[in-house]
Amino acid sequence: MADFPLAINIQGDYGYKVIVVDDQNTIEEVIKTSVDQIVGVLVAPFSKETKLRAWIHGADRPLDNNLKVSDANFIQMEALQIYAEKNSE
Amino acid sequence: MALLKMEEWYDVARETNWTPSYVTQDELYPAPMSNSYDIPLEKWESFDEPYKSTYRDYVKAQRDKDVSAYSVKTALARAEFFKNASPHWKALLALHFSAVCWAEFHSASAFARMTRFCQSPGMRNMATFGTLDEIRHGQIQIYFAYEFLKHDAVFDWCHKSSKTENWIIISLRHALDDIAHTRDATSAAIMLNMGLELAFTNLQFVALSADAAKCGDHSFATMLQSIQTDEARHAQIGEPIVRIMVENGKKKEAQQLVEIAFWRMWKQFSALSGIGMDYYTPLEHRENSLKDFMEEWVIGQFGRTVQALGLDLPWYWDILKKDISNFHHANQIGVYVYRATEWWRPIAGTSPEERDWLEDKYPGWNETYGKCWDVISENIRNGDYEKTVPIAPPLICNMCGLEVTGVAGDKWHAVNHHVDIDDRRYHFCSEPCKWIFELEPTRYKGHKSIIDRVFDGTIGPEPDDFYNYMGQSPAERGADGYNYRWVDGYDQTEEDQPRSAAG
Repeated sequence: MADFPLAINIQGDYGYKVIVVDDQNTIEEVIKTSVDQIVGVLVAPFSKETKLRAWIHGADRPLDNNLKVSDANFIQMEALQIYAEKNSE
Repeated sequence: MALLKMEEWYDVARETNWTPSYVTQDELYPAPMSNSYDIPLEKWESFDEPYKSTYRDYVKAQRDKDVSAYSVKTALARAEFFKNASPHWKALLALHFSAVCWAEFHSASAFARMTRFCQSPGMRNMATFGTLDEIRHGQIQIYFAYEFLKHDAVFDWCHKSSKTENWIIISLRHALDDIAHTRDATSAAIMLNMGLELAFTNLQFVALSADAAKCGDHSFATMLQSIQTDEARHAQIGEPIVRIMVENGKKKEAQQLVEIAFWRMWKQFSALSGIGMDYYTPLEHRENSLKDFMEEWVIGQFGRTVQALGLDLPWYWDILKKDISNFHHANQIGVYVYRATEWWRPIAGTSPEERDWLEDKYPGWNETYGKCWDVISENIRNGDYEKTVPIAPPLICNMCGLEVTGVAGDKWHAVNHHVDIDDRRYHFCSEPCKWIFELEPTRYKGHKSIIDRVFDGTIGPEPDDFYNYMGQSPAERGADGYNYRWVDGYDQTEEDQPRSAAG
């Protein structure tokens, strides 16, 4: 277990933020940490049905929500976009 | 006895080049300090400054300007303008003086390097006046700012800021070190004169002077005018240098110097002048937006100047045209929500009437950046002041030192550019910032942003460690300039406003 800094930008926010997660966290837990820190502060709450996903900035497919940070082959401060999946809005 | 006219003796009098006999020409003008760009000396000696001045005329003109500026200040001191000024204007004054005083004073060093190491007598002559100008600009501004210190301790930062590791100061210092203080005299002359003074000082000194006059701050307006007339003169060193380089096969080199300096300064002025113009200038005195000024004076006027000199418009011109509607709006949100990391009292500048103005000047503002302000405003109305400050720190650009931002709200567009070197990721807010880094990675890769310093342990883990590192005692941490009494309009009564809280 080790701290792992990531750069995240949640849909609607004006810019990237830096969060620190545990490298054993899953992507879903990374999303939750991000939401806890930004949603309701700079971004309006998403509807309960909204499914949030993450992808590496510039990638063309989302990360598996069950993927562990330690298994994701991230470099420290990897940039992730967190967005609302359209078909679940 | 008939006196010669200046134009009859000027060129002879300033012809001070000679053939050295005790040292070689290269020892007299070493490349790391002079950099001839392999252009022969006789070509450099063709430098012909467009604005000619003698020392006698210079001193007289400067004395007259000082008399005018100081007289207005003395006459108006009793008016106690500052005490009655709005928090908007106080914030603008604090931001201007604490960012500009020391930057001007440091510029004297850059001009002194040109005075010693530029190859042409004309360049050295102009740079001598530039050196004196910058000393004057540092002194007069810090003197004017000092007047406010008895009313507000924030103005201590006009003198203190440059010696701190505050994140905004790191950002500005890094940019100025890059273009003015760590380059040879020829390169610095092009970068400082063209990329900063010719391109942008109009924004901060002419536009701000006009706003100051409208606000009734005639002392500040007069001082700014007296500075800009100097800037307009000594900024002209760069143009003939560029012309000589273009004529002698060094267009590519000159082009690159202008492009680096211009972008670095755009980012700084976007934050300084952009926030000042579009958020801190009181609405009743606000006419033109940053975008208006940029389109007329920079994209139009400066763009034409660059082309007239034989250069091309910078490759990122289309990126710039979009950036003038976005970057400073995003950064204003960050400056407000992370207000405790600043030494002045930041202004939100997003009351209902101000939002109308922003929407008018920047169509779509409400559905983009306005969405973040909706959330901030709602938290204030609910008394959830803690929720107006994010726990997560912002990602900082490893070139400009400002936040890595995109478009917010319904048109959300995340922006990020990066480079990986030695297992370290460098983030950039824009393609040009990344481009500058990649031109010379060894020059830039050792620098760490304030956030990098948190994660590498340079700054301790406790909240106070962060502020102590930035030189901010508890009393020097920014709070909302209106104590939140803006959220539903400045004309609301106390009872109508959200309950008071430390901002």
